[in-house]
Amino acid sequence: MGLVKKEEYAFDTMPGVDVVLTKIDYVVNWARSNSLWPLTFGTSCCAIEMLMATGGPRHDLARFGAEVTRPSPRQADLLILAGTIVKRMAPRLRTLYDQMAEPRYVIATGACTISGGPFLYHSYSTIRGADEIIPVDVYVPGCPPRPESLLHGLLTLQKLIKEGQTIRKPGVRHKPVISEIPEGVSREDITAEMVELLEHDSVVNIEETLGNLERPTGI
Amino acid sequence: MSVNITTLDERTRVTSEADSALDTEEYFVNMGPQHPATHGVLRMVLKLDGETIKEVIPVLGYIHRSIEKICEHSTYRQIVHLTDRMDYLSSIMNNWAVSLTVEKAANIELTERIEYIRTIVAELERIHSHQVAWGVMGMDLGAFTPFLYGFRDRELVTDILEETIGARLTMNYIQPGGVMFDIHPNFVKKVKEYIAYFRPKLDEYEDLMSGNPIIQQRLRDVGTMDGETALSYGATGPVLRASRVPYDLRKIEPYGVYGKADFNVAIGTAGDCWDRYYVRIEEMRQSIRIIEQLIDNIPEGKFMVKKPAVKIKVPEGRYYGHVETARGVLGVFIVSQGKDIPYRMYFRTPNFHNLWCTTAIAPGGRIGDLVAITASLDLVIPDIDR
Repeated sequence: MGLVKKEEYAFDTMPGVDVVLTKIDYVVNWARSNSLWPLTFGTSCCAIEMLMATGGPRHDLARFGAEVTRPSPRQADLLILAGTIVKRMAPRLRTLYDQMAEPRYVIATGACTISGGPFLYHSYSTIRGADEIIPVDVYVPGCPPRPESLLHGLLTLQKLIKEGQTIRKPGVRHKPVISEIPEGVSREDITAEMVELLEHDSVVNIEETLGNLERPTGI
Repeated sequence: MSVNITTLDERTRVTSEADSALDTEEYFVNMGPQHPATHGVLRMVLKLDGETIKEVIPVLGYIHRSIEKICEHSTYRQIVHLTDRMDYLSSIMNNWAVSLTVEKAANIELTERIEYIRTIVAELERIHSHQVAWGVMGMDLGAFTPFLYGFRDRELVTDILEETIGARLTMNYIQPGGVMFDIHPNFVKKVKEYIAYFRPKLDEYEDLMSGNPIIQQRLRDVGTMDGETALSYGATGPVLRASRVPYDLRKIEPYGVYGKADFNVAIGTAGDCWDRYYVRIEEMRQSIRIIEQLIDNIPEGKFMVKKPAVKIKVPEGRYYGHVETARGVLGVFIVSQGKDIPYRMYFRTPNFHNLWCTTAIAPGGRIGDLVAITASLDLVIPDIDR
C-alpha cells in the first residue's frame, strides 16, 4: 500500500485539513499499536503456547501492552488465531471477526492457520489457511511457535500499525519472502507442481475407488 | 439394546409452557463454541430453568481434524506425530500408546534403557499437565494467581524436556522401537534439581488454593458422581479415581518400568469436584516419587533398537494397546493388512468419555457449578474431536 491508499484512508475518516490529518494519524496509530486487546480464542495446541505460556510469568505479554485478554469479541481488537480451523468452525470464526470493533488486527500463529500444517493432506475437514476466511496481518510459523515467536509477531504487527499498512481485505496476502530458486526452474513450475499434487489428493473418483477397495481379510 | 437417535433441533424444542404467571419456562442457552471456560471450542447446549441446569447437550465437531482418516495414509512413525496434537498436554504418553501397540504387534524387543527413559519423561509430563490443570482451574473459578504459579513451574519442566527433545509442547519423542534421541548429559542433574525445587512448591500450591474457603465452597459437594456412574460412562483417569475406583493402568497392567517403582494410587472418597482436584495434587506427589526411584538407575544401552528410517510392517490382524495418560486411558486400535500403513486406526480417547459425565452430574446445579465441573474434568477439546 502506497501513499495514495494512505490519503484515501485519511479522507475517508476525516475529510478536510491535510497536514494535521497525517499527524493525527501518526499519533492514533502509535496509541493503537501499544494497546492491543487480544480475544481469548484458542482452538487447539497453539492456545497453550500462545495465549497461556506467552501470557504467563516468564514471557509476559503485558510488557507489550497486550495482556488484557477479553472473552467478548466486542471488546477486543486483536485476534490471535491459535490452532486449526475446521470447516464447522469457519462460519463461527467469521462471525467472531465481524463482531470485533474496528480497527481490528489478526495474527495467524502456527502451521495450521497458515496453510493447514500437519493436516494439509488427506484431511477432509480442515481449512487450508485461515486467510481464506478472514484477512490476516501477520503470520507466525511453527508447530506450535515458541512464545518468543509470538512476541516477534506482535512487534511486527505494531510496526505495521504505526506505518498504517495493515490488511483490510480477505484474500490479500503480504508478498512472501522467497529463497533463491535453482537454475532452470521457474516459479510457475513450482506452482504447477503444487497444484497437481493438491488436485491429486483432493479429486477422488468414487466409482474407481470403490472398485479398487480391498477388504481386510480375517476380520 | 436400543438407541434413540434424535437431532439437536428436536432436543432443543421447548416443550413445557408456562401455565400461570408463577410458573417458570424452560429455555436453552449455548455455552460455547467460543467461551473462556470451556478450554477451547466445546459447545454445550444448556436447558435451563432460571439458572438451574435441567439438561446438558454437548455438541462436538468444532475441532474435528480427521486424524483417524489421515492415519490410514501414514506410516506408523508418521502417526506418532499426529497423536501429539490430540491431547497436547500428555503428548509423550500419546506417542507411547501408539509405539506400545506397534511394538506389541511387530514383536520389537526393547532395551531396559528405553523403558526407563520413557517412564521418566512420561511422569515429568504428567506433572506439567497437572500443573496446567491446577492453574487453569484456579482461573476458571476466578483466581488468577494459581495460573501464574502453575505456569511458572511448568516452564521449568518444559526446559528440561526441551533440552533432550527439542520441543516444548508437541514432543514427538517416543517412537516405535525406542526414543528419538538419547537423554541430554544434563538431564539427570536437572531433574534432581527440579524435584528438590518442586516438592516445597507443591505445599505452596496447597497453601494457596486448597485451604481457601471460596475454592472449598465452589468445589465441595458439587458435581458428585458415584463409582458406578463413572464406570458406566467410561470415565477413566483422575475422574474415575476420584469416584473411589482405584483403576490405574500403571498399577493394574504395568507397562514401561512402573512395575519396579513403588507408588500409591490416589483415590477420592466422595467423587465431587474437590476430590478430582485433590487426586491431581496427590498424583503429582506420586509422580515425584516414581521419578526419584528411577532417575539414579537408568541403565546403559541403546536408546533406539531400529533405525528411524526403517518402515515398520505390522503383521495382518487387529491389535489394541493402552496407556494411562494424564487424563485417563488412551486406547489405540489398529487394523493391519500387513503393510507399513494401517487399514484402520481408532483412538479411544479419555476426554471423550470423561466429557459425557457432565450430562449425568451437571443437571440440578447452576451454570457456575458447570464451570467448576468442566474445570475439574480437565478437558482437552482436540482430544474429544480428534
